[in-house]
Amino acid sequence: MNEKPMLEIRHYSKSYAEGKKAADDVSLTVEAGDIYGFIGHNGAGKSTTIRAVVGVLDFTEGDILIDGHSVKDDPMACKRITAYIPDNPDLYENLTGIQYLNFIADVFGIGAAEREERIKKYADLFEITDALGDLISSYSHGMKQKVAIISALIHDPKLLVLDEPFVGLDPKATFQLKGVMHEMCEKGTAVFFSTHVLDVAEKLCNKVAIIRKGRIIAAGTMEELTAGHSLEEAFLEADR
Amino acid sequence: MKQTVLLLKTLLLSTSQRNIYKYTADRKKKSKIVGGTIGTVLLYAMLIGYCILTCIGYGVTGMIDSAPVMCALTVSLLAFFFTLLKTNGYLFNFKEYDMLMSLPFKTETVASAKFLYMYVKSLPWYLSISVAMLIGYGIYAHPAVFVYPVWIVLSLFLPVIPMLIAAFLGFLTAKVSAGFRKTNIVQTILMFAIIIFSFSLRFIIESIFKNNQVEDVLEKTSEMTQNAARIYLPAGWFSDAVTKHSVLSMLLLAGVSALLFAVLFRIVGGSYRNINSALKSHAASKNYRMTAQKKRNAVNAIAFKEFKRLTGSTAYMTNAAAGEVMAALLGILTLIIGFERIVRIVIQDAPVDVAMLRPAIPFIIYFFIGMVATTVCSPSLEGKNYWIVQSLPLEKKTLYQGKMLFNMYLTVPFMAFATLCMCISAKVPAAETALYLLEGFVLCAFSTTWGCVCGVRHMRLDWENEIEVVKQGTGVAIYMLPNMFVVMGLVVLVVILGLRMDHKLVALLFTLIAGLLAALSYRRVMNLAKKQ
Repeated sequence: MNEKPMLEIRHYSKSYAEGKKAADDVSLTVEAGDIYGFIGHNGAGKSTTIRAVVGVLDFTEGDILIDGHSVKDDPMACKRITAYIPDNPDLYENLTGIQYLNFIADVFGIGAAEREERIKKYADLFEITDALGDLISSYSHGMKQKVAIISALIHDPKLLVLDEPFVGLDPKATFQLKGVMHEMCEKGTAVFFSTHVLDVAEKLCNKVAIIRKGRIIAAGTMEELTAGHSLEEAFLEADR
Repeated sequence: MKQTVLLLKTLLLSTSQRNIYKYTADRKKKSKIVGGTIGTVLLYAMLIGYCILTCIGYGVTGMIDSAPVMCALTVSLLAFFFTLLKTNGYLFNFKEYDMLMSLPFKTETVASAKFLYMYVKSLPWYLSISVAMLIGYGIYAHPAVFVYPVWIVLSLFLPVIPMLIAAFLGFLTAKVSAGFRKTNIVQTILMFAIIIFSFSLRFIIESIFKNNQVEDVLEKTSEMTQNAARIYLPAGWFSDAVTKHSVLSMLLLAGVSALLFAVLFRIVGGSYRNINSALKSHAASKNYRMTAQKKRNAVNAIAFKEFKRLTGSTAYMTNAAAGEVMAALLGILTLIIGFERIVRIVIQDAPVDVAMLRPAIPFIIYFFIGMVATTVCSPSLEGKNYWIVQSLPLEKKTLYQGKMLFNMYLTVPFMAFATLCMCISAKVPAAETALYLLEGFVLCAFSTTWGCVCGVRHMRLDWENEIEVVKQGTGVAIYMLPNMFVVMGLVVLVVILGLRMDHKLVALLFTLIAGLLAALSYRRVMNLAKKQ
């Protein structure tokens, strides 16, 4: 087992030019094999934190470590082992699905046989193989989301970061994605994702953090947080 | 470098019309691509023809030695201005920023691939100019055989330095504005300042020469080459490489281009994430209090939406509203300096009676105001949000009327201001001023409606970056080129007629012609709306 946490957010703060704080002294730790839920209201700071974790957004204070590498000092080492699925993926719409997946595989230097095997595995799982030869612009939102998920899994990441991953997915794809998350966490991958759907978080996660107005107001294992109640009750209690 | 090439190839593929044609099942889309390609080929043919004729002109007047410098300067100037107008949309704040930055790409790799994408996309235009001028040069100068490949290879480097300078200016404006709360407004103002300064550079340089009393020297072709090369060294290197076969000049042009590229993207890479973070994320102020709301009719509501769309994008604003700002500045300048002096500067002290240029005032202003109409870009700019207007109980004609109304709201006040300033400065009588205002208004209407015809006919919703429709759209090219040539022709015609006819009568005649063209264009828009 890896001794270093897969994701460690240390006193992370993000201020805008307007002076407002989108995230204020956020600290949390995600170990290898964790499925960590990040919940909060709209505008609470979930996406801002996630975008800082994956190296998209600059931040003001604190540090974020992925497998011991600092996102600030060594972003490339972090990105090589991380995969990110945004809530509304902006893919290259005028590429076909397969062209896009090959581009991502090329970026990560995945060999031909390996990429073929992984693309086939996940495309079959999400029932999108037939559509891979079509332009992404012709896909529905859910299909685009599926391509984004496959592109995230193609390099077998150590840390999977997802922002509202279940939005737009059909029930079957939602079920398959949950299965993939479990499978990955059994292999030692850490999964960190934001969601509004508390039921999903309760059934899927072993750890949860609740963020409100940029500050973590509760964090810990599911048992610690719920203490015999439902996650919904625990969330409403913490949010009071 | 491998990653830069990979990203560049993907960026090119993702905007390739060939790729869309190959994989789309949509027949309408396919025929649109074919139509667009034919239109582009025609534009290339026009450009090549124009450049060959220009070079033949040099040959006939015995100025063929200056062709290499003229070619270098033309390509460089175009590369500089077009990059300046595009850089903010391509290098910063682009749509797929999150996706790219979450992948293991270095920041300088993303920035340099985006720059190279701009370069590769615009290179065919610059090469068309250069190769066409090479043909003219070949006919009249009979250069050695090896000059041909040298000219072509060096033409690949010619746009690099001006594009890098423009990209650096874009980077500076983005970096400065990133420190402000109103990032977008600051960036737009700074870009306008740079564009206006760049436009005035020609006059600044000329005044420096005039102070040094070298106007007569400028008339000598060979020394003109040296003067141009002294101001802009890469043009001199290109010329020396071609005319003097200087290996050093070839190496300098290629080497300095490569060196500047490496240095610039090392600098840009350092602040890239910081700038984009500031440009892409804004805190919600969350301090709104419900107040009395204002009711607008549908046409005005669309016009207001168009206003917010324009002011919300630096790239759109600098491309679509630059003409209005320049017209207003020209108006202020004429008030301060005087109409006569401004005309003297522009016509280079040619023996022309300034009074005879008065009837051209509405067209001089329209040259700026009508450069780009928002109606050319706005149908395409709906992009993926097109579903909003499509799903509303809104007729297409109402949608286009709203878009046209906004362009009138934008152009008419600037036109009126600039016309009044010029008329006051040129001491135009009140009745004539009123007529020029009316003529200007009708010209604005023509620009609006003709722009809308081009915008609707060549609407493209599947763009990746708004610059593709704001700057490079087929509609924009089809609107701009005839508009520009027709205006220049009309200026000459109006001046000639003004010599023989009463100025008021000339204004009235041209108002009627422009009015007729505007009415025809409006009818065409309404017909297009019915067909959709």
